[in-house]
Amino acid sequence: MSIQPAVDVSTSYSQPSDRKGRFFTAKRWGTPLLILVALTGLLVFLTVRGEPDKIESFALNWPYMAAKVDEHIRLSIAAALLVAAIAIPAGILVSRSKSKIVRGTIVGIGNIGQATPAVGVIILLALILGIGWSTAIIALVFYGLLPVIRNTMVGISQINPSVIESAKGMGMTGGQILRKIELPLAVPVILAGFRTTLVFSVGVATIATFINAGGLGEVLVVGLKLSREAVTLTGAVVVSCIALGMDWFAGLVEDLLKPKGV
Amino acid sequence: MDYDLSLVLPFLIKKADEILELSTEHVLVVLISLVIASIIGVGTGLLVWEKPVARSAAVATAGVILTIPSMALLTILIPIMGLGWASTVFALSIYSLLPIVRNTVVGLREVDPAVIESARGMGMSKVAVLMKIQFPIAWPVILTGLRVAAQLSVGIAAIAAYVAGPGMGAYIFKGLSMLGAANALNFALTGTVVIVIIALSFDAVFILINRLTTSRGIRV
Repeated sequence: MSIQPAVDVSTSYSQPSDRKGRFFTAKRWGTPLLILVALTGLLVFLTVRGEPDKIESFALNWPYMAAKVDEHIRLSIAAALLVAAIAIPAGILVSRSKSKIVRGTIVGIGNIGQATPAVGVIILLALILGIGWSTAIIALVFYGLLPVIRNTMVGISQINPSVIESAKGMGMTGGQILRKIELPLAVPVILAGFRTTLVFSVGVATIATFINAGGLGEVLVVGLKLSREAVTLTGAVVVSCIALGMDWFAGLVEDLLKPKGV
Repeated sequence: MDYDLSLVLPFLIKKADEILELSTEHVLVVLISLVIASIIGVGTGLLVWEKPVARSAAVATAGVILTIPSMALLTILIPIMGLGWASTVFALSIYSLLPIVRNTVVGLREVDPAVIESARGMGMSKVAVLMKIQFPIAWPVILTGLRVAAQLSVGIAAIAAYVAGPGMGAYIFKGLSMLGAANALNFALTGTVVIVIIALSFDAVFILINRLTTSRGIRV
């Protein structure tokens, strides 16, 4: 049960994977199937309605869409990896701290961070640092850090102290305890935070178009501004499929990395 | 970028009326969506919590909806529901469903089976057990779901300003559109800070509601 609050506060995007493994198969293959159906549906829709008009064809062509998908995935994955590289060590450091004040501060900052609208962060940063790709990355990393730091901290500190005690009693060093006991046991909670960040990155990367960082948000905005619904729909379906796919992939990694005993 | 702090106060005073109006709108749109989402979400939770297939289908569907980036959902809603309030309320309501449905289901299921059994043994009907025993015990968990949904909605409502939705997000986008102008940062900063304040206030209100409405026996 101690995992529950961590899942709650990070507003995890999909249900935590079921331990019993009964819904596993349906769940594991449900998402890819949904993506396939959505993309096929989109393709059929676009084919049936015929050749795109002159304005639509600006966006509705393979090279343009491929470039936007590429930009979008790059942006969100780069941000998520940076977050993992910074936030997991930071979370471990924080969990080492004995002081209540340090932990309280991190949780407090985490709560305020969660309350801050993503669009506010990204636009404020753009006003301060200038528009473009690097600003978008900074905003995404900034936004994703807190849930992963907090979940790492929670994941490590929720481990039963007697387990650590027995590891110590067996003569394990601090490093060994961290690597062999604490991290594996904290993996589910850490990954839950990372998964949230990854999916969130895809969403926030959509807003990155406002600060000229490309991605599929551009397709949405183009469709909206030129009032071409087919363009907007294409952008929306594709970006949703990316988000679902990332979530599915992260869930798969979660299952693979989870220690067998847990 | 140079930023003159002494100009913040005059800006806030000059815009006080507008800020008040926009933040009222922001709170209002979140409240309306939250009411709609909790009727649908808690209702769904009450109906499906006992049925494994329906339960996982409901939670999974809500999960898929939440995964859709909010910009994408908002932009496809425009041709259907137009600019402004309707699209915003609709989007916020369906984004709020996941935390509400999930927490309702989790809360109802976590009730100790022994408690349910003794209530049944006393002759209470299934519905009576659900409403008089399970629901009050699950209430704090359900309330947490509502709280998460509120936080989420406050943030998404900021993006909705792009599709002419109500609320403080308008200030953030105004800041962006004035990029380089003297007041750009003032607008964006005011918008962001006020939204943070709104989100934290919602949190505080939910903590208060939790204190006041949790059944005495399970209050910690």
